[in-house]
Amino acid sequence: MSSSIPGRDVSAPGSSPRSAPVARISRGALTANARSAWRQGIRRFDPSILDADAWGHGAHLVGEVLDAGGFVATPPRDGAVGAVDGPAVASPETTLTPSTLFGLPAAGASTTPALRLTGTVLSVKDLRAGEGVSYGYAFRAPTDTRVALVTGGYAQGVVRRLGGAVDVAIAGERHPIVGRVAMDVCVVEIRDGAVRRGEEVLFLGDPAQGEPSLESWVRATDLTAAELITMVGLRATREEAP
Amino acid sequence: MSARLRVDLAALTANIRRVRETVAPSELMLVVKDDAYGHGLEPVVREATAAGVTWFGAFDVRTAHAVRAAAGADARIFAWIAASRDDLDGAIAEDIDLGIGDAGLLEELADAARDAGTVVRVHLKIDTGLHRNGVRPEEWPAFVARAATLENDGAIEVVGVWSHIAEASDAEDDDARAAYERAWEQAADAGLRPAMRHLAASAASFARPEFRYDMVRVGAFCYGIRSAGGPSSSELGLIPVARLEADVVAVGDEFATIDLGSLHGVPSSLGHRTAVGTPAGARSLAAVGASRSLVAIWPGATVGDTVTVYGPGDRGEATATDLAELIGTIGEEIAVRVSPLVGRTYSSG
Repeated sequence: MSSSIPGRDVSAPGSSPRSAPVARISRGALTANARSAWRQGIRRFDPSILDADAWGHGAHLVGEVLDAGGFVATPPRDGAVGAVDGPAVASPETTLTPSTLFGLPAAGASTTPALRLTGTVLSVKDLRAGEGVSYGYAFRAPTDTRVALVTGGYAQGVVRRLGGAVDVAIAGERHPIVGRVAMDVCVVEIRDGAVRRGEEVLFLGDPAQGEPSLESWVRATDLTAAELITMVGLRATREEAP
Repeated sequence: MSARLRVDLAALTANIRRVRETVAPSELMLVVKDDAYGHGLEPVVREATAAGVTWFGAFDVRTAHAVRAAAGADARIFAWIAASRDDLDGAIAEDIDLGIGDAGLLEELADAARDAGTVVRVHLKIDTGLHRNGVRPEEWPAFVARAATLENDGAIEVVGVWSHIAEASDAEDDDARAAYERAWEQAADAGLRPAMRHLAASAASFARPEFRYDMVRVGAFCYGIRSAGGPSSSELGLIPVARLEADVVAVGDEFATIDLGSLHGVPSSLGHRTAVGTPAGARSLAAVGASRSLVAIWPGATVGDTVTVYGPGDRGEATATDLAELIGTIGEEIAVRVSPLVGRTYSSG
C-alpha cells in the first residue's frame, strides 16, 4: 500500500492488511477496569468471567489480570434449577462482573471496552443512484455515492442484522454499513471519503472517545452484549494489545 | 460443557451426490469457508475429496492453505479475497486459483507472479449488481484488455469469469445474468479464452438451470441447510448434516436445564420462540441464558438426557433454517455462530 499521508502507513509487525477482522484485547483496559472495581472495595470476581474463553477475551490473559489485581473467585454456584444463569450472586456492588471487567455497555461510562474490533478495506467503488447492494438489494442508493467492501461478516460475529443499522469508523469518520452483511464481508457507504484499499475499519471501539460501540449492536440485534462480544472474540483473529 | 455439534459425514456425501446429480454436467465447487460453515474444514474436505469433489471454494488464502493441506496437491482451490501482498505470495506458493475483481489488485498479483517466476491462474470477477467486489461493467472492457496483456506477458492465465448474484428477484437475477453474458463476450473480444464460467450458488444452482454454466459454487445445500423462505430440505432431496446437542444437567418441576447457552452460539432471541428435540419429542425452549438454557419438562426427564437444539428433525427439533426464520436471519448464520469451543464429533451414518 502506498500513501502520501505521513504516519498512516507505518509498517509494523501485524499491521499489514488482512483478510479477516482482528480483535485486539487491551491488557491495559482490563487492568484499569479491574482497578476501578478494586478502589470501590471489590475483592472477588464472578467465576462466569472465565466462561467461553473469558467471553471471547482469552482466559489466559484475563486470568493474569485478575491474579495481578489480587482478585479471588466467589464460590462456585450450585446448579440451580429453573433459573437460566443460576442465583444472582454476582451483585456489582460486591463482585467484579464480566460487564465491568470487559467494559460492556451495562457497566456504564466508568469502564473502557477491552476489545477493539477492526476490519480492512478490500476495495472501493462507485455506486450509482438506484443501484442495490449485497444479497436481496436491501439497500438501494438514493443518489450517486461510493462504497467500500470491508472484511468482517456474520461468521466473525458481525451479525447479519447490523446491515443498515450501525456505523463503522474509518480514519475517525463515521460511515454506515449498508445492505445485508454477508458471511465474511460487509459493505460500507463512504460517499466522498478518501478511503483506500488496505485501510483499517473500526467496528467496535470506545464510546467515550465517540467511537462505534457494542451498545448500538445490542439495540440493532435483539441479542445480549455478552453473546455479541463473545462471538466476536472467538471468531476474529485475536491479539493482545497494551 | 456437554454440548457438541454432531456432524454426519454420510449425509454430507449424500448431499454432495444430490447436488452433483442436479447440476450435471456443471461441476460442483464445494464452498468450505469459515471452517466449512462451522462443520470442521479438515473432515469435510477429506470426506468430499473421497466423494470425488475436485474444486473447493475457500474465501481467503489462509483458508485455501488449510484446504490444500487436507485435500492434497491435485485439488483445485479457489480463493477470492486477498488483502495483502503476503496473501498473493501465499496463494502463488500453494498453487491457488485466485478470484480478482479489482484493477489495482490485478496489477499487484501480476507483480507477485513475475517475482515468483510463475503463472497464476485467475478468475476475473464482473460486478453484475451486487456491488461488493467485482469490476463495474463500464470499467470491464479496460480490465479484460489489461488482463489479456498480462496473460500475453506470461504473468497470469485467465481461466475463469465469474460473479455473484443478489437473489433479490428472478427478474433482477436475469438482468445480472445478461450483464454476466456481456462480460463474457467482452472477455472473448479482448482475446481471453477462459474455460470456466461460474455464477450460481446454492439456491440458483437448483432453481435456475440457465445459471449453472460450467460450475456452481455450493456451500449451504451440501451441508443440508435450505434457503430461508425456500423449499424444504426434503423437497430439495437434502439432509441436514449437523445436529447441535447438549445434555440435561438438572431437572426441576417445570424445566430441564441444559448446559448450552448464548455464549456457545445459540441466539438468546430464540428463547420462548422454538421447540427443541427431547427423548419425548418436541418441547419448548423456554429461555436461553449465557451458559445454560431451559427446556419445558417431559415425563421421565433425567439428568444426562440428550436435547437437540437443531438437526434433521427426527427428535422433534427444528432445522437451522427453521430457527433462523424465527429471528429474521438465514440458516448459515445459525450454523456459523456455533462456538468453536463446542466440540465437533463425526460419524458416517
